[in-house]
Amino acid sequence: MKKRLVPFAILATAGLALTGCSGGGSDSSDGDTLTVWIMQGTNPDSEAFFDEVGDAFKEKTGATLDVEYVQWADAHDRFVTSIAGGTTPDVAETGTTWTAEFADAGALMPIGEKVDEAGLSDDLVDGLVESGTYDGELYGMPWYAGVRSLIYRSDVFDELGLEAPTTWDEIVEVGNAIKEAKPDMIPFAVPGDAEFGVYPWVWGAGGEISELNGDTWESGLASPESREGIAFYTGLATEHGFSSAGATTWNETDVLDNFTQGNVAMALQGSWTPATVVQDNPDLEGKFAAAPIPGQDGGIAPSVLGGSHLSIFNTTKNEDLAFQFVEMMTTGEFAEKWGEQTGYFPGQTSLLEKSMGSDDPLVKPFATQMVDGGGSVPVTPTFGAVQAKKTVNAMIQAILSGQKTVDQATQDAADEMDSIMNEEG
Amino acid sequence: MAVTTPHKAAGGRRPPAAPPRRRTPLIVRTRPWLLLAPALIVLAGLLLWPLVRVFLFSLQDYGLREIVSGEPNWIGFGNYVEIFTDSQLWTVVLPNTVGFAIVAVLGTVIFGTLVALLLASLGRVWRLIVGSAIMVAWAMPAVTGTYVWIWIFDADHGLVNSMLQGIGLMDQPFNWFTNPVTFYAIVVINIIHHGFPFVAVTVLAGLLGVSQEMLEAAEMDGAGPVRRFFQIIFPSLRQVFAVVFILSTIWDFKVFAQIYLMPGGSGSNREVLNLGVWSYVESFGQNRYGFGSAIAVLLTLLLLIVTAIYVRYLLKEDEL
Repeated sequence: MKKRLVPFAILATAGLALTGCSGGGSDSSDGDTLTVWIMQGTNPDSEAFFDEVGDAFKEKTGATLDVEYVQWADAHDRFVTSIAGGTTPDVAETGTTWTAEFADAGALMPIGEKVDEAGLSDDLVDGLVESGTYDGELYGMPWYAGVRSLIYRSDVFDELGLEAPTTWDEIVEVGNAIKEAKPDMIPFAVPGDAEFGVYPWVWGAGGEISELNGDTWESGLASPESREGIAFYTGLATEHGFSSAGATTWNETDVLDNFTQGNVAMALQGSWTPATVVQDNPDLEGKFAAAPIPGQDGGIAPSVLGGSHLSIFNTTKNEDLAFQFVEMMTTGEFAEKWGEQTGYFPGQTSLLEKSMGSDDPLVKPFATQMVDGGGSVPVTPTFGAVQAKKTVNAMIQAILSGQKTVDQATQDAADEMDSIMNEEG
Repeated sequence: MAVTTPHKAAGGRRPPAAPPRRRTPLIVRTRPWLLLAPALIVLAGLLLWPLVRVFLFSLQDYGLREIVSGEPNWIGFGNYVEIFTDSQLWTVVLPNTVGFAIVAVLGTVIFGTLVALLLASLGRVWRLIVGSAIMVAWAMPAVTGTYVWIWIFDADHGLVNSMLQGIGLMDQPFNWFTNPVTFYAIVVINIIHHGFPFVAVTVLAGLLGVSQEMLEAAEMDGAGPVRRFFQIIFPSLRQVFAVVFILSTIWDFKVFAQIYLMPGGSGSNREVLNLGVWSYVESFGQNRYGFGSAIAVLLTLLLLIVTAIYVRYLLKEDEL
């Protein structure tokens, strides 16, 4: 009798071992712990910052703050799998282009009412409110914003007696001067795998990425204006030879690495990068400066206002506690401190105006760019899919590598964009 | 199946005279299966169920919203229709995947076999030294190895471009990653470099088992080294080569990291997409898990067909 039972016992054990994995994940929080996901790769010192936030939070509410750091590169997959498994944190930092996507999936909690109650709704930066709103409801609390501008090597410019360019023609003049005097330097980096470097030229020439016409999105990438801007941008590499062969496959990080190594004279980079440059190569301190991206005939070419929201997931058990944390992070002391440490701009208008007053040559031009030349990519969950498909990157890379002409590449990209953005979500 | 039970009932040949017992007890007849059950259940849970799930996803329009709600969204074979009517599949993805696999498998097996022949002819000390050296290539993680090749071929500061410019063969730096042919040439080098040690070690193990008498006899009869290889060594190592070919094919068909990590390989250079990267970009980037699953199912079917052909040609039926 006993012997006969052995196989069944083995079976049962195997069965238990198999199901064992799905039984775990019990939640240890009894409402007194708030789990938060913060993206990493932005602030070099964020752990110390959040230790301080945790102490202050405990003092104020008595609850423990459990901060988990997630790399930007893995974050989207982590969010999706945790949404699927119902293991999302209480609060998380969500990139501005993701908030609408997760809201559309039904994973986020609307916070508009709470923001109104706290009397904050009139003091938030417009661009971030716009990207945090989906279907007329606010899902993402503006936390911080960043913007890309032109950074250039002021030591090289001074040596050659050059001024920061203010029109597109001046970019070419300055570039030629550098190319002649410094043959080892890349006068203007044109990376083939960085979409945010493309939009300023599209907008600067009067084009659009995509516009909602009735119910359908119509891409403007193949319009004569957009083509002019894209032709100018890629022409810096293909006609004028200001870029390098390697840059055809660079992404933004590669551009930053090469700028930090001193190989590049001009590039488009974000307001959060100067701190990284100085940290990685202290020799460059004081040798580079920023300027707003020049418009075609003067003025400022708009550049994408990026940044992050703090979003509350609808799996949270204690939404009031969650909102207390959100409020603490996005307003007042900690919001200001975060901005100072990272080079990002606060999402609260009153704080933003304060940093506008700065005279720092690596802060002021970015602030100007943000106020006078901030743009937004189309606000729709499907634009995230366009970015993931690398539609714009593929367009630029095909032009730079000579696979396609400007006309053909822009037409293909516009068609692809239209087909993705008008698909039933 | 190689598993045999300790009882003669499973011997395959019928005993000459039927034993007096008319029925073997149930427990005896089912015992082999019961003993196999834990392993089979684990395999079914870890391998079969995910496969079934992927197939079920591939019949749905399955996105983030479906993940959150848990509701199925059946669309029949719509995803498959979309794949087969996509011109990108026929002009870029499939030629890249199949062409790359053929070149990489042949390259890996040929190079690995040559190294094995070299190892077999070496003395003990040198075999140890060369053997350890090739193990280093094997032990290198795929990601690290890929970055090393990226640096070597980097357009502005890479070793290859500086050398070619240094000896005057090249005027302007060339970006090896933008042209699909040179892009895949680098991937092939990377894969062969990473894959040949396995082939070399496996083939060497077989080589040491080839009868020396037969080789000596052939030499006496005037057979040269090439003839000896194809007439004696290859036939006696056919099963080893079958395993090596099948595994290399499977690995090279589903190559992902070595392409995704290369400049332009993650989707910005459309000319270099293969099935693995295409599936990833569609499913995780676009949140179209159904469409990505359908691509994955096709890849699995393709591999099953290729494996079946190999097994048929390389292993005769009586050897199975």
